[in-house]
Amino acid sequence: METFLLLAHPVTGGLATLAALWVFVDTLNAGESSVARIKNISLICAILMWLTYFLGGYFYVVYYYVDKAFIIKGPWAFGYSFFMELKEHVFLMLLMLATYLPVAAYSYVPSNKSVRKLVLWVAGLIVPTSLAMEGSGAVIALAAKVALLLKVKGV
Amino acid sequence: METIEIGKYTKSFGLSFAITSLISALLVILKETNEETVLAWMKAVTPHHWITHGIINIILFVALGWALSMPNSGQGLKISANALIGSIVASTLISNLLIAGFYI
Repeated sequence: METFLLLAHPVTGGLATLAALWVFVDTLNAGESSVARIKNISLICAILMWLTYFLGGYFYVVYYYVDKAFIIKGPWAFGYSFFMELKEHVFLMLLMLATYLPVAAYSYVPSNKSVRKLVLWVAGLIVPTSLAMEGSGAVIALAAKVALLLKVKGV
Repeated sequence: METIEIGKYTKSFGLSFAITSLISALLVILKETNEETVLAWMKAVTPHHWITHGIINIILFVALGWALSMPNSGQGLKISANALIGSIVASTLISNLLIAGFYI
């Protein structure tokens, strides 16, 4: 279960990022035929982000304390003190932003330049923020790995 | 003909996001600098302070989004698209900088 959660949450997070990127690109080149697609993919982005929240959140609340104990004692303690803290708190903002994406996208029609601009900005903010979350996750995983390697080597 | 109007819920929930995001970032600083009171309360309410933080955000986001759609006899807020986008972008950047800056 622990390993599944550890692997599943960056996958759903990555897919949510791709969905936001899809919405951004589709909106950039939007026509009548892309309206339904933009609305559907924005909803999928929000659903995937909520799934990431529950999967990653369950791992964080139930299992993370073991990793945390190793990371804090290891040479990459910043994996916990900066990257994990950043990730767990910025993600809460990202979740709301992804939830807002379909709210904005559902009033989209190609003639409405204002909503088009809004959807572009919201999707455009989700992508780099999500990538920062994925990157932070990679640093945290590496911080745990470095700590465990040194423990195995007896350093 | 170009349509320039945006829906009342698009405006209200956009502004709700901007406000909630800033409050969430300030709550991070507040709970971390008041471990005996704020953080202790957040740990007592649910099994983990992060769960409490998330619930506060979600309740605030939904409640503000609904409340901000009510003004002007239910017509919603009078705010331009540029002002709405500006508040969302500014809030996102400031919130992220507040959180990152606090933990550096």
